[in-house]
Amino acid sequence: MIPLLGLLAGIVLGIVLEPSIPQVLQPYLPIAIVAAMDALFGAFRAYLEGTFTDRVFVVSFISNVLIAAAIVYVGDQIGVGSQLATAVVVVLGIRIFTNAAAIRRALFHA
Amino acid sequence: MPDEARVDDQTPAPSVRRRRRRSRSHGAASRRVSSLRRSQRRLAGEEHPTAVEPDDAPIAAQATKRTKDSGAARGTRDRLLASLLHPGRGQILAAIILFIVGAGGVMQVRINATDDTYASARREDLIQLLDGLSSESRRLEGEVTQLEQTRRNLQSGADTQRVARSEAERHLTELSILAGTAPAEGRGIRMRIADPNAAVDAGVLLDAVEEMRDAGAEVIEVNNTIRVVGSTWFGSDGGGLVIDGKPVSRPITLEVIGEPHSLEEAARFRGGIVSEITGPKIGGQVQIEQEERVVIESLHASRENQYARPAPPVPTPR
Repeated sequence: MIPLLGLLAGIVLGIVLEPSIPQVLQPYLPIAIVAAMDALFGAFRAYLEGTFTDRVFVVSFISNVLIAAAIVYVGDQIGVGSQLATAVVVVLGIRIFTNAAAIRRALFHA
Repeated sequence: MPDEARVDDQTPAPSVRRRRRRSRSHGAASRRVSSLRRSQRRLAGEEHPTAVEPDDAPIAAQATKRTKDSGAARGTRDRLLASLLHPGRGQILAAIILFIVGAGGVMQVRINATDDTYASARREDLIQLLDGLSSESRRLEGEVTQLEQTRRNLQSGADTQRVARSEAERHLTELSILAGTAPAEGRGIRMRIADPNAAVDAGVLLDAVEEMRDAGAEVIEVNNTIRVVGSTWFGSDGGGLVIDGKPVSRPITLEVIGEPHSLEEAARFRGGIVSEITGPKIGGQVQIEQEERVVIESLHASRENQYARPAPPVPTPR
């Protein structure tokens, strides 16, 4: 319940206050969001399987986001930024689907 | 207390909780034991330690057991329901993180929606775009230069043509005056030759015309009907005078366009045409009037040359 409230509060605040991040970080925001989604799905799956730990969740969330952004940043520096971004998105997408499948199985046994 | 640690490792989550509670009441030694236990767990590389939230722990353990022995989906759902009713620290953390993700997601959506395509484009893409644009603009600038050159050429061509045309028209008027195919007017003199003895012959008339030409006459007309041009000839037909095949009646009137004073002087100088006519040999009279405006309207009918053709121009010697 509280996480859902947090999500709603975040969305509402984002819409109302219209915060903006620095121009430098803007290219990495989409990748960071995809990584965060992956971490969230993983956390939900772990929660459903009873192996959820907030420490692991926080650490994995932050590290996922940072690593994804760092990979894209390095890619930008060496000139393969868009390709690496695509690679990160593909990998995270696969993980998200795997986690979603596990969640589905845990919730509905189907 | 090695056995305690061993027991802890084997016991499931609920006993951990109990253990903790008890250890709190003990003291520094027990605290050290629990920290040792924690580091032991960490060293063992536990990815998901079983230390779950105090409130959730019993249910979590129960549910884990049930899921593991492939119980019903009811177990997980119960757990979800219970967690909804009894939120813990993990939920608050998840809420914070979800808050961040929600805000970030909305931000990204807004950036994507409001900003144009170039704001989020990568540097290489922008450079490529810029390259394309600058090469395009270079191409267009070249085109502009070329078109301006063409325009200049056309303009100068038109100018040249216009100048040549006006020059040709000027020439045409000059030449048509000279050839006698156009009427002319200007300052000049009118000379009346009274010739009661009919002694003025073609030679005298030719002399008069030559004198006028010598004084800069530009257009000469005889008797208001005969235009004197380059091909004009003077002759006699019996007792009468003939110019260009036309008979000339007496008295003879010469209308001449030119500088009036020079013309009159040229006619009147001693031994000139006036003294010749008024002399005893002819016995005529000459009357000369300077006019500000002499109009000559008679035209010379020019014939096309039968034999003469324009020759290619000779290169001008240097």
